[in-house]
Amino acid sequence: MTNLQLLALLPFMVLATAAVVVILLIAFKQSHTVIQVTGFFMMCAVVLAMWFVRDTLPREVPPLLVVDGLAALFTGLIIFSVLVVGLLSYIYFEEREENPKEYYILLFLATLGAAVLTISRHFISFFIGLELLSVSLYALIAYLRNRNNAIEAGVKYLMLAALTSAFLLFGMALIYMETGSMEFTAIGNAITKSGTSVLFLMGIGLIVVAIGFKLALVPFHLWAADVYQGAPAPVTAFIATVSKIGVFAVFVRFAQAIHLHENALAVTVLTVIAIACMIAGNVLALMQQNIKRLLAYSSIAHFGYLLVAFLSGDAGVGAGVFYLLAYSITLLSAFGIITLLSTRRKDADELSGYRGLFWRNPLMAAIFTVALLSLAGIPLTAGFPAKFFILTVGVQQHMWLLAVVLVLTSVIGLYYYLRIISTLFASPPLSPAKEKSLHPLFYAATYTSLVVLMFLLAWLGIFPGFIIDNVQEFLVIR
Amino acid sequence: MNSLLAYIPALPLLGFIILSLFGRRSPKPVIAWVGAGTVCLAALITIAVGVAFMQSTPANGAYSQLLWSWFRVGALSVDINLRVDALTLVFIFIITFVGALIHIYSAFFMWHDRDMARFFASMNLFVCSMLLLVMADNLVLLYLGWEGVGLCSYLLIGFWYEVPSNSRAANKAFLITRIGDTALLIGLFLLFKELGTLNMNAIQQQAPQHFTTGSADIVLITVLLLVGGMGKSAQMPLQTWLPDAMAGPSPVSALIHAATMVTAGVYLIARMHGLFLLSPVTMAIVAIVGAVTLLVAGCSALAQTDIKRILAYSTISQIGYMFLALGVGAWSAAIFHFFTHAFFKALLFLAAGVVIEALHHEHNIFRMGGLRKRMPEVFITFLAGAAALSALPLVTAGFFSKDAILWYSWSSAGGTSVLWFMALVGAFITALYSTRLMLVVFWGEMRTPVHQQPDRGMVIPLIILAFFSITAGFIEWPHNMLHLSLFSDHVQQVLPATVMKRDLPSEWLFQAIATVITLTGVYIGYMLYYGKSGVRWQQSPPLAATRDFFFSGWKFDQLYNFLFVKPFLFLTRVNKSDVIDKLYNGIAQAGLRLNGWFSVSQNGSLRLYIVGVLAGILFIITLQLLL
Repeated sequence: MTNLQLLALLPFMVLATAAVVVILLIAFKQSHTVIQVTGFFMMCAVVLAMWFVRDTLPREVPPLLVVDGLAALFTGLIIFSVLVVGLLSYIYFEEREENPKEYYILLFLATLGAAVLTISRHFISFFIGLELLSVSLYALIAYLRNRNNAIEAGVKYLMLAALTSAFLLFGMALIYMETGSMEFTAIGNAITKSGTSVLFLMGIGLIVVAIGFKLALVPFHLWAADVYQGAPAPVTAFIATVSKIGVFAVFVRFAQAIHLHENALAVTVLTVIAIACMIAGNVLALMQQNIKRLLAYSSIAHFGYLLVAFLSGDAGVGAGVFYLLAYSITLLSAFGIITLLSTRRKDADELSGYRGLFWRNPLMAAIFTVALLSLAGIPLTAGFPAKFFILTVGVQQHMWLLAVVLVLTSVIGLYYYLRIISTLFASPPLSPAKEKSLHPLFYAATYTSLVVLMFLLAWLGIFPGFIIDNVQEFLVIR
Repeated sequence: MNSLLAYIPALPLLGFIILSLFGRRSPKPVIAWVGAGTVCLAALITIAVGVAFMQSTPANGAYSQLLWSWFRVGALSVDINLRVDALTLVFIFIITFVGALIHIYSAFFMWHDRDMARFFASMNLFVCSMLLLVMADNLVLLYLGWEGVGLCSYLLIGFWYEVPSNSRAANKAFLITRIGDTALLIGLFLLFKELGTLNMNAIQQQAPQHFTTGSADIVLITVLLLVGGMGKSAQMPLQTWLPDAMAGPSPVSALIHAATMVTAGVYLIARMHGLFLLSPVTMAIVAIVGAVTLLVAGCSALAQTDIKRILAYSTISQIGYMFLALGVGAWSAAIFHFFTHAFFKALLFLAAGVVIEALHHEHNIFRMGGLRKRMPEVFITFLAGAAALSALPLVTAGFFSKDAILWYSWSSAGGTSVLWFMALVGAFITALYSTRLMLVVFWGEMRTPVHQQPDRGMVIPLIILAFFSITAGFIEWPHNMLHLSLFSDHVQQVLPATVMKRDLPSEWLFQAIATVITLTGVYIGYMLYYGKSGVRWQQSPPLAATRDFFFSGWKFDQLYNFLFVKPFLFLTRVNKSDVIDKLYNGIAQAGLRLNGWFSVSQNGSLRLYIVGVLAGILFIITLQLLL
């Protein structure tokens, strides 16, 4: 491994170090606050490292890894999300758990797993990254072990993830058997030479199952609502953003390498899945009264939209990255509000608890409203250009069926987002003020970051050009 | 000078912003100073620009100021670019100068209204929009101003919104002008499709090469533009909204429904003269629309009893003259009539406002009377306005402008004897109803006592306007009398000169006929309405029926009610549960039904979830084996 290759991996090493540093801090009995602040700075260090190595890209680290523009984009998105999730975690766990420190080890390990996924170009690194992510997530989901539904969610996730991991391995084995290689590009070369066999396609199908599970695509989505509901709010935010971004990144790289969107069969399968996602996600959310479950269904629908970009091939990658960015910011601000409103015993997931929020806390209601409008894809928020780009590439690739379903289901989606917004502005019930035990500085920091996210949403909604240009610039680094 | 242009619309806009943000809490003097002050400042800047323009005509014949680029989409790039050439200068002078006088008047007129801030905010926004309309260098910006003035007109007609009929009048004005606006918009689309630009200069230059004279495209486009102008300028058959628009305060009627907004159609056609000249058919239509309108509205004015409705019909009729002049190619005569008309009609409306206020909101002229002695300043100024309206020869501004139109309606290349005759009958009717109005309101016995005298601040604008109503005509004399043609020299920098027929009879003959006709009209009015002689002849049945017909505005409202409103209401009754809604309701129903079905899958049972995963795998593999 040359120096330059080592340098290119620097951000990931810093990320790995973060987990170790947290372990050491716990060993030296440092307080939650110290760990939180250190973790924050470690993540900032990762960002710095990424800035530092930007000129060495693209850099292959054979046989397992490749650090290129795509990886940089997705890793940046992951680190950004983790920064916010970490910030939300502090006030959440400080209030609820006498022992919140190990949480950060798991959080950073899971992040490392997701980050490894973005740079893997080989089945081995793919699988290791995925398992690193999954295993950390089992514990993270069930971290509040006093809560029944947290344990339940953790177990459900564990069982299903194990099941689908088995399928994943089986699929990888089938492909290895057919092509004699586990490296994405080599597989791609092999099939362009000798064509695709039934066993190879079956292998692809099994890998799609595993990826579909992680991304909560229909029909592998059934876990989503229960896990979203049971997991602590920051962890739910993590699942909804970081873990899905990582898996989507490796899926994009894999699909590009083996020219997946030129394979009619795979396209058919994914089209059916995308349509099913859009319909099922939106329809399930219609009457949902639990916000966390509702966001789970909504994210199923959103990944249906994202698949439209994915199916457009290379043209759709830019749109997909922009969509993920808009989606992450939106979800993080929504979960930020849920975290802030959660009480010691229970997450704020009942819709009735949001009744009249605007009259009690206009700032929170404003942030939440903007986030929901962005999820619904209303103009002037990030969700609109994001959805618009996807629709554009879909139409350019003549995927009319998907485009029509996208538009129709977006209309249905509007209903439940607006339902929440109308609740926010309804007349409030009399409720006791929430006690605030923490240092106000942390609330201030959380509020500030949420306000920044809100402005980011508006900025992306009004001037999407800047970001989309930068994304395109990164994507050519390969 | 270029850099000053932006301030002309920006100042009223500033006034609007201040008043709409802080107006509710501001004391009345502040509101008045902001509301009227911004427009007065804009007027001063306009005069400065105008003086500079007169002294040395700028390069290309126009000042222009590019503020910023509004948007660029494909081939269309729209700039916020202000452009003041000779034609625009006339309009912005009238808008700001007459506008400033009306604002000063309003400061006193509206003093006791609790919504004074809202009034001035709307008026300022109106002035800003109207200025944008005439200063725009492209049709998109013009359309922005066009819609802006429509909105302000709506807001101000319904200013006293608590009276339901006022709201109805506002709605009517908005809806009917919307017909014209839509036509205009379609016209702009077509124009863009043909020429690929909406910049006015580019259109003027490219149109002759692109269109052949009289081709279907150009006829369609110009007719659509004409319909747009007809809507805003209340020309037949879209004239019915203007009489009802008198529900607004009198200064609104003076500014929007007499001096400025209703002449937007005239401006549009004059500005687009390059297109209209390519379509002789449309030019003929413009002339006919104008001629018919001036007769129809003039007859209606004869029978009205509400002082403001008389003036409203008179306005429609006078704009009909402008359209007639445009249609026969007498461009500068049309603009000249706009120029003089703005003064005397604004004056008449403001004076009518004073009278109405003084008589406890009495609108019916037959319950007025004898005001000559009690309100001498109003009487004198009103007399000046009415004289200008009836175009008394040589001593009024109205004579010079109307005489030019009468002359050109015969003598220009597009003119005919029929048009001339219609215009002549119109002149007779105008003189008649002006005399009637004058005599009934100011002579005779006093039927309602005067309860307050107008403020000095309201009288001074009247006097200034009266001065201009008399003298504004002296800058442009008929050719046979005096070689003084300042106005037409000025506007002909932009507008083409009128093409004349050959072998014309002497202009003196026409002037003599017009003078005789006008004086006859005045005399007959005097015979009928001085004293009480008018009562008997009105009682005979055929005359009463005619009067009722005219009074109702030739039953146009009833006609439209029968043709459009009734069938529409019928359709809405038939289609009470909207057929189209079925589609949306269907989506909602389907969504709910699916929600019920899908929810069953979310029962929390891990076994079922695993079944889901396996079903997915089975689906994928089956598909693979099938294909």
